Amino acid sequence: MSEAASAKQVLFEPIFKNNPIALQILGICSALAVTTSMSVTLVMCLSVIAVTACSNLAVSLVRAQIPNSIRIIVQMTIIASLVIVVDQLLKAFAYEISKQLSVFVGLIITNCIVMGRAEGFAMQNGPWLSFLDGIGNGLGYSVMLILVAFFRELLGAGSLFGYALMPVVNEGGWYVPNGLLLLPPSAFFIIGLAIWALRAWKPEQVEAPEYKMSRHTTKEAF
Amino acid sequence: MGIRQFLDGIEHHFEKGGKYERWYALYEAADTMFFTPPYVTSTTSHVRDGIDLKRIMITVWLCAFPAMFFGMWNIGYHANSFLAANPDALVADGGLRTAFIQALAVTGAGAGVWDNFVYGLAYFVPIYFVTFAVGGFWEVLFATVRRHEVNEGFFVTSILFALICPPSIPLWQVALGISFGVVIGKEVFGGTGKNFLNPALTGRAFLYFAYPAQISGDAVWTAVDGFSGATALSWAASGGVEALEQHIGWMSAFLGTIQGSVGETSTLAVLIGGLVLLVMKIASYRIVGGVMIGMIAMTLLLNVIGSDTNPMFAVPAHWHLVMGGFAFGMMFMATDPVSASMTNTGRWCFGILVGVMTVLIRVINPAFPEGIMLAILFANLFAPLIDHYVVQANIKRRLARV
Amino acid sequence: MSKPKETVSRTLMVALALCIACSVVVSTAAVMLRPAQVVNQTLDIKSNILAAAGMLEPGASANQIEETFQQFDVRLVDLDTGEYVDPASVGVEDPMKYDMYKAASDPAMSTRIPPTEDPAGIKRRPNVARVFILNSGDQLERVVLPISGYGLWSTLYGFVSLEGDVNTIEGLGFYDHGETPGLGGEVDNPRWKQQWVGKEVYGDDLTEPGIRLVKGGVDANAADKEHKVDALSGATITSRGVEQLVNYWLGDRGFATYLKKLRQGEV
Repeated sequence: MSEAASAKQVLFEPIFKNNPIALQILGICSALAVTTSMSVTLVMCLSVIAVTACSNLAVSLVRAQIPNSIRIIVQMTIIASLVIVVDQLLKAFAYEISKQLSVFVGLIITNCIVMGRAEGFAMQNGPWLSFLDGIGNGLGYSVMLILVAFFRELLGAGSLFGYALMPVVNEGGWYVPNGLLLLPPSAFFIIGLAIWALRAWKPEQVEAPEYKMSRHTTKEAF
Repeated sequence: MGIRQFLDGIEHHFEKGGKYERWYALYEAADTMFFTPPYVTSTTSHVRDGIDLKRIMITVWLCAFPAMFFGMWNIGYHANSFLAANPDALVADGGLRTAFIQALAVTGAGAGVWDNFVYGLAYFVPIYFVTFAVGGFWEVLFATVRRHEVNEGFFVTSILFALICPPSIPLWQVALGISFGVVIGKEVFGGTGKNFLNPALTGRAFLYFAYPAQISGDAVWTAVDGFSGATALSWAASGGVEALEQHIGWMSAFLGTIQGSVGETSTLAVLIGGLVLLVMKIASYRIVGGVMIGMIAMTLLLNVIGSDTNPMFAVPAHWHLVMGGFAFGMMFMATDPVSASMTNTGRWCFGILVGVMTVLIRVINPAFPEGIMLAILFANLFAPLIDHYVVQANIKRRLARV
Repeated sequence: MSKPKETVSRTLMVALALCIACSVVVSTAAVMLRPAQVVNQTLDIKSNILAAAGMLEPGASANQIEETFQQFDVRLVDLDTGEYVDPASVGVEDPMKYDMYKAASDPAMSTRIPPTEDPAGIKRRPNVARVFILNSGDQLERVVLPISGYGLWSTLYGFVSLEGDVNTIEGLGFYDHGETPGLGGEVDNPRWKQQWVGKEVYGDDLTEPGIRLVKGGVDANAADKEHKVDALSGATITSRGVEQLVNYWLGDRGFATYLKKLRQGEV
């Protein structure tokens, strides 16, 4: 990988071409949990971008020193420390949102994207590229999360960023909110549909079928 | 023979190279709707008779008729009883529907069988029409894009979906529900035959979770504004058997003059249709038997355990049979040949799982009043696994003999 | 191949250095940000109380909230005797630092409630609770009480605010719960909460709390409509939970003893 050509690639490829959620199917847990409203999602995304970028940077800086036998633990320690710092910052400066995010900020530690990039990229690449890779993957994660949150908040509560776009019936408006979208499983449907759309757009992401059914020999067989 | 000649006359447009080639699916659907296709199955599995998928689906469709007609009458019966007692209440929801009802029938006091029926017609037909039109749109769209034929399975899905809607459901919700059922429940997995969930129930479950305040509760079951009547299940949840006996009575629950979704109320009408399906071997008696066994066993178990705080524990099996959508789900939904288990032993297990889960959800879960829908969807998910183990066990057993 | 960085001593060195570096970072952040966090937490409690009492202006700044809250007199009450207690007796200097829900899990500071007498589903009740009193002159203007109890999926935590007659409800709100959005979650709906305003907790003899949540709307002509609130549609269990927890906390095992004394000016 030549340095000059790949900086841009490293930053932008994870957004659509190699999206951590849509293609690698990582980090689904928080995509279900924190996407009921746009503002909460946005803060979560910023936190993940910050953690991924900084952990990649930190791991890359010390990668020459890390003994192979304890490398996973070293990465975990770095990530965990960063997550705690982010959590503390949110509690101090964005208390309302940190209350809504509750444990899910802490759970960034277990987000496979962060760990995966530290182990898969930062251990082999220089600090600058690793930092960009962290931001890129964080952005890829964010794009999906914001998409999910957009539909969930708009259709589930009739609002965006808490601002009522479609006044709901219970508050005297006309829009009957779709309660399913306020429940976590709805994120599965939206992510599924998004993956469908993405793969229709970029067919090279479609996996090879595991098996192929043989043709029907009779027209109405069942 | 006008239709045959017409269809033959236009056929070349739809064949490969014709100007409407893309729309072959529509042509094929119309053609086989009227005429038996020339290529009925001739493989060994159909030695019994010449029945094909389309005939099966139409039979199921016809078997739902008793429940449907009774359901329409029942809508009118409840609405008119209410109107008789409250002459000031608004007939229907105003507009076209009211005009239709008032042109053809008497409302309120003095309404007879015909009047009740017309009232129900004015509610059910729009629901069914929307289901058919919107669901059909998705079917044709996918058939056209993917170049396969429109599948008759949708005939059944549409009537079953319409029959499990509450009578006063807004039509846009019907449209959303069937869209979800057809697209997410079936087409994303490759269409009929590859869906592991029952599409009608998937659509209903979507509505159930999306609009719980509108689709459950006490106010939705009767097609008059301002009326609210508890379903058998809500009586059971609040007062147990005593409340059921006092407010409803087993016989009227069995006959179906109770509150509920359009086609679910009358256990008798459902059983009539179901019996035909069983006799024609379209519905598997193993699944139906399994559901009954599971339901009775679980009910007896819960009766024995008992509970001081939850009166549902004491509700006996014969009440579970007539409450909510149990009979309808057992006969029409659990027996769906695509999403149920396919092995004979597997069908017993599948049925028992449905029966047990239904009672479990009804009695133990405080949030969901009805359990059969979730129980069948749950069992649908397990059907392939059940089949897998049945097949593996069979292989093992036969290997031992070698 | 044994690279120098794979030796045991080096591994230990790296691990040690990393641990020290990380703990410095984490503890610095924790210590530096602690004051801001504490401010946020207390501000949060205060704004919840003001919201229940209907005194929270939308978009009020932190200073405004502090200022409005200053009017309240924060007191600790022994629920059994109905008397105020000294904060020192529960081990805090400032009553604002007392956490009654934490106390509820401490056997020394709480009482176990037998399941038959626990309609609110809270299992243990703290012996001492915190109340917020607003006087204008000598006259009691309002009293805000904490309430909690089990709904369908979760424990609901909230406050109820009573007027100076210690009977009429002035407001009610839950600040923490996990009920189904759109159904039980509608306890947060301002329109629903508005209904509680002006309802009377106790009957004419001022003994038993008798709030009822009724299905299908409150009949305007009903004899006891001042005790009835419209239940949440489609959320039977949450509604029942709210009804029971309100009656529990305003009943004999909750604040009733204290409220009686408060009404008669004995405390």
